[in-house]
Amino acid sequence: MRNQTYILSKLVEIAVIFFVIMTALFFLFRLSPGDPISKVVDPMLTPEDMRYLIEQMGLDKPMWEQYVIYLKNFFAGNFGVSFHYGEPVFKIIKERLGWTILLFTSSTVLAAFAGVFLGKIAAWNKGSRLDSVMSISALVCYTLFIPWFALLLLWVLGFQLGLFPLGGILSPELWVGNASWFVKVLDIIHHMVLPLMTLFIINLGSYLLLMRSSMLSVLREDYIITARAKGLSERVIRNKHAAKNAALPVVTSVGLSLAFSINGGALTEQIFTWPGIGRELIFAVSNNDYPLAQACFLLIALVVLVANLIVDILYAYLDPRITY
Amino acid sequence: MRQNKETNRLKWRAEFCFNLLLLGVLLVAIVGLFSSCQKTSDQSLLRIGLPEEPRSLNLWLGTDANSRRILSQIYQPLYHRHPETLEIIPWLAKEMPVFDQGALSYTVKLRSAKWSDGSDFTSDDVLFTKQLFFDFKIPRYYSKWKIIKKIEAPDAHTVVFYLKKPSAIFMSRVMTAPMVSKREWEAVAREALTKEKPLRSLQDHVIEKPIGTGPFTLVEHKKGAYIHMEKNPYFFGSGQKIGNHLLGPYVNSLLFRVYGTSDVAILALKKGDIDYYWGDIQPGYIKDLKEQTNIDLYFNKKSALYYLGFNVRRAPFNDKVLRQAVATVINKEFILTRILQNFGTPMHSVVPSGNHFWYNPNVRKYGQGLDHDQRIKLAHEMLKKAGYSWDRPPVTQEGKIVTPSDILLPSGEKMEKFVILTPPADYDPKRAFAGTMVQEWVRELGLPASARPMAFSSLLDTVKGKHEFDAFILGYGRLDLDPDYLRSFFYSKNDKPRGWNMSGYHNLEFDKIARAQMALGDREKRKELIWKMQEMVLEDIPYLPLYNPHIIEATFNERFRGWVAKVDGIGNVWSMCVVKPVQ
Amino acid sequence: MLKTHYIRRFLKSWKIFIQNPLGKTGVIILTVFMLMALASFIVPHINPMYDPMTGIDPDIRVSTGPSLTHFLGTDNVGRDLFAQLLEGAKVAFIVGLSSAFFSIVIGTVVGMVSGYAGGMLDAFLMRMADIIMVMPSLVILLILASLFGQFNIWIIVFIIAIMRWPAVSRVIRSQTLSLKQRPFIEASQVAGASHLRIIFRHIMPNVLPLAFLYMTFRVTSAILVEAALSFLGFGDPSQVSWGMMLQWVWKSGHMFQAPYWLIPPGLSISLLTLAFYLLGRAMDEVLDPRLRKEGQS
Repeated sequence: MRNQTYILSKLVEIAVIFFVIMTALFFLFRLSPGDPISKVVDPMLTPEDMRYLIEQMGLDKPMWEQYVIYLKNFFAGNFGVSFHYGEPVFKIIKERLGWTILLFTSSTVLAAFAGVFLGKIAAWNKGSRLDSVMSISALVCYTLFIPWFALLLLWVLGFQLGLFPLGGILSPELWVGNASWFVKVLDIIHHMVLPLMTLFIINLGSYLLLMRSSMLSVLREDYIITARAKGLSERVIRNKHAAKNAALPVVTSVGLSLAFSINGGALTEQIFTWPGIGRELIFAVSNNDYPLAQACFLLIALVVLVANLIVDILYAYLDPRITY
Repeated sequence: MRQNKETNRLKWRAEFCFNLLLLGVLLVAIVGLFSSCQKTSDQSLLRIGLPEEPRSLNLWLGTDANSRRILSQIYQPLYHRHPETLEIIPWLAKEMPVFDQGALSYTVKLRSAKWSDGSDFTSDDVLFTKQLFFDFKIPRYYSKWKIIKKIEAPDAHTVVFYLKKPSAIFMSRVMTAPMVSKREWEAVAREALTKEKPLRSLQDHVIEKPIGTGPFTLVEHKKGAYIHMEKNPYFFGSGQKIGNHLLGPYVNSLLFRVYGTSDVAILALKKGDIDYYWGDIQPGYIKDLKEQTNIDLYFNKKSALYYLGFNVRRAPFNDKVLRQAVATVINKEFILTRILQNFGTPMHSVVPSGNHFWYNPNVRKYGQGLDHDQRIKLAHEMLKKAGYSWDRPPVTQEGKIVTPSDILLPSGEKMEKFVILTPPADYDPKRAFAGTMVQEWVRELGLPASARPMAFSSLLDTVKGKHEFDAFILGYGRLDLDPDYLRSFFYSKNDKPRGWNMSGYHNLEFDKIARAQMALGDREKRKELIWKMQEMVLEDIPYLPLYNPHIIEATFNERFRGWVAKVDGIGNVWSMCVVKPVQ
Repeated sequence: MLKTHYIRRFLKSWKIFIQNPLGKTGVIILTVFMLMALASFIVPHINPMYDPMTGIDPDIRVSTGPSLTHFLGTDNVGRDLFAQLLEGAKVAFIVGLSSAFFSIVIGTVVGMVSGYAGGMLDAFLMRMADIIMVMPSLVILLILASLFGQFNIWIIVFIIAIMRWPAVSRVIRSQTLSLKQRPFIEASQVAGASHLRIIFRHIMPNVLPLAFLYMTFRVTSAILVEAALSFLGFGDPSQVSWGMMLQWVWKSGHMFQAPYWLIPPGLSISLLTLAFYLLGRAMDEVLDPRLRKEGQS
């Protein structure tokens, strides 16, 4: 019962926060310094043409009117029309979302699993050379500058060795030439390897370090000493008792480090021309395509909020020490 | 003891997992290589790389360069420019129009052409297109077609245009607009007109299969990946000799692929993944590309103008002499060799020298042929005569060149610091760098200049919208071949927020001539006026032309040959109609 | 009294710190970069062609590799890459340190107020901190980039600071909470001291060392975010930074042809952030007995 009220209150909170962000964004866009409107319309037109286009886009109405219309549309499921593409924002996002989810979830899941696994080993062998090597490597991975690392991978593996394609999601010739779906899937995977590797390595570092420190603090706990005294094998202690409990903070930190992963995701998409939400956001911002940029941003914000909510709930559910 | 065994076992485990991962990756790589080997080198598929995703395949919204590249294969105008002579020639029209001086009318006979859905192209479509421009006030087209009083269609293959007043630019401006199919757009237009924002409605309409009279039609547009087009069986030009070329097209399909960066695109070109990169190539690649025998490089002139603009509305550049002095110390040769790596031509007039007929070679050329020291001396003299002074002038009594102190205005005050705005280096390294060079040169005269890169849209807003600037370096990459744009740039009335006259040039004499040339039908007489206009502009220099870069393009020559070079490059509808697979 | 106490504590900590291998490495790397940043003030004066933004070698027109006159080579218009690298070091320090400083200031104030006041204010502030902390800073900066159009380096610094104070505030808050229970605070309250006075006179000096510890983590994220922003093309175009260098090598098409241009800036970014991080970790271990460490930045 208590849990339910907790969840409910959190949901309401998210809704409020989301609404605040949405409103703030809307007004910030329209209040920005410099004439935002003329940025949107092609400056190569005559002033009369520009004025006409602005009026057609509804940018000449007073702010409050625009806001009300915006809200009305938003809740009706109409997220506006992209200035740049002329297509409904919803459609554009729908086309891009899948690619981001594919890349993002696979890299996060792989990195989390590997991080937990390796962090466990590192913590267990604390002080040894293995631990030092792992920790330092993880540290290096964590502080790598993503665009640079991605460009390096591209250069070495894509260009010099020619093993992987230099970007994009597929090879058009295969798709146009009626290849079997199996080959098509392989083609996509082939294109996904480099961006996946980039994100995997970057995120691995942070998860490994987290797991390691979490495990270390768990290992100091009383019940571990008890288990040892009981004579349980080291492996059982490590896997069954310590790791399980140590993994918990790592799970919660997935939510916290989402910000970090999302930043990295956007940069990776840009460099490998992976047509996802991150890349679209960057593109929309460069083109002053407000409706699209806004929508991409709100989507990301929503994902972050919801993810953290889930993590909060999970944590409350799993950790018997917390009661609400 | 147990700990060691544990560690060893763990080490094995870790190694095993890593090996597994590595194996997986290698496997994927191998399969990938396999599948790429299987790629059919389809001899009739022309693969083209694009720098960016086209904005839209709706003709009214897709105004960006990449959309236009695709759409120009579909929608065709009545008249086109001959690729070599640049003269206006009939395209969808059958022959040159008959002009009636008295009625101010042009009678155009249409070719018997078909739309890509098999229906006939008739005068109804022309009428409909005109109506569309007027009903929706479509930007770019409406302002040019406004001069038409009315259109009549005496029969299915004849159209008569009646003008409100004589116009010299009718053929080049009006007749080069694309024609659309009444069948395709009629219903859409009718519905859009009922909406509150008709133009926006029209622009937002999603066209799945555009209907056109051009050489290719759209098969598939996979967002973020590729655009697939195939030969239009109804193309009117098939087998015809137009503009001295026997048209095909001789390829069955076009495959456009988007590359985010030119680096990757050039690589793809070198590997033969694409046959042509439809984008400008930076001079830095040339050495590398030249060495490959299966890559052909093309250098073409652009109809472009890259210039230094002054704000003549206020100090310090409201003084003509100061502008002329600045023009004197700017070394265009240096810009050519250093910034353009010799791939370009120095620009002396606001009309490119490649535009032979309209270009005036006799305009004033500042500092031409002088070396560095001579330039400074000349500029120094000019400024001294106009009343400027220095505590320590750039040229000493003995005639030595030294670093001067800050320049003083004729009034005796110090000149205020001024800024030369440029686009950022990543947007256009040439302009950004030119700004830096100009800054250094004018500093040698004691002028307190600094070049500042500014985000492009902010830059435009500041210069064009707010007129809050001292000087800037901008460019027009695609100048119309008809020089009427001179009127747009320098006409006094166009000096308004967001107007074309960004420098604020007001010259009533110029205005008069500009108005007059617009209506002159006689080309020779018009040329005289255009030449006079250039003279005036180069004397007063609200804009100082700097350079005109060549357009550098490359093709992979093992599969297709026969590209047609035109002003602005080999990427044009002629090439698409003429390239043939190599046997 | 308080001052000597601090100095003694600092010296003791320094001894432990410098023996720590992580700390040692961090300090060494940092010193190298610090020297580079200082050198960037001098180098353009040696020869105007070494100016990172405007200095071109009159003989060189294309991107060239390392040579005697140009240690790292030149970019595609003939500017010296080493000079650019030095300038980038300067910018990285300025951005990193000032951004971290601002976020410390904000975070400390918020943390102290929140911990001291408790109740609704505390809950509200901490909730806000939570939300801000999970937002991806780069994405927010991108959105703001389209508003401001042109980013000035100080605006970037400020915005990063605003995104990054929450982590600091949490720690400060918990420290404040424990301090609040101490007898001397109670005594001040009884003596009639105003809340503000208590916060700034009594609590602040005791939480400041902690605040500065966390500064190192703020620096790393500030440097990374600024570099990412410049790389994408939204940085300050009149400023040479490492991110900007990477952007130029990418956009000018020399990514695959000029490893001497591609590698140094990225390597520098990574090394500098690593150094700050090592520093933070080492300081952390020195002060470890009293803290429970939270997650990373």
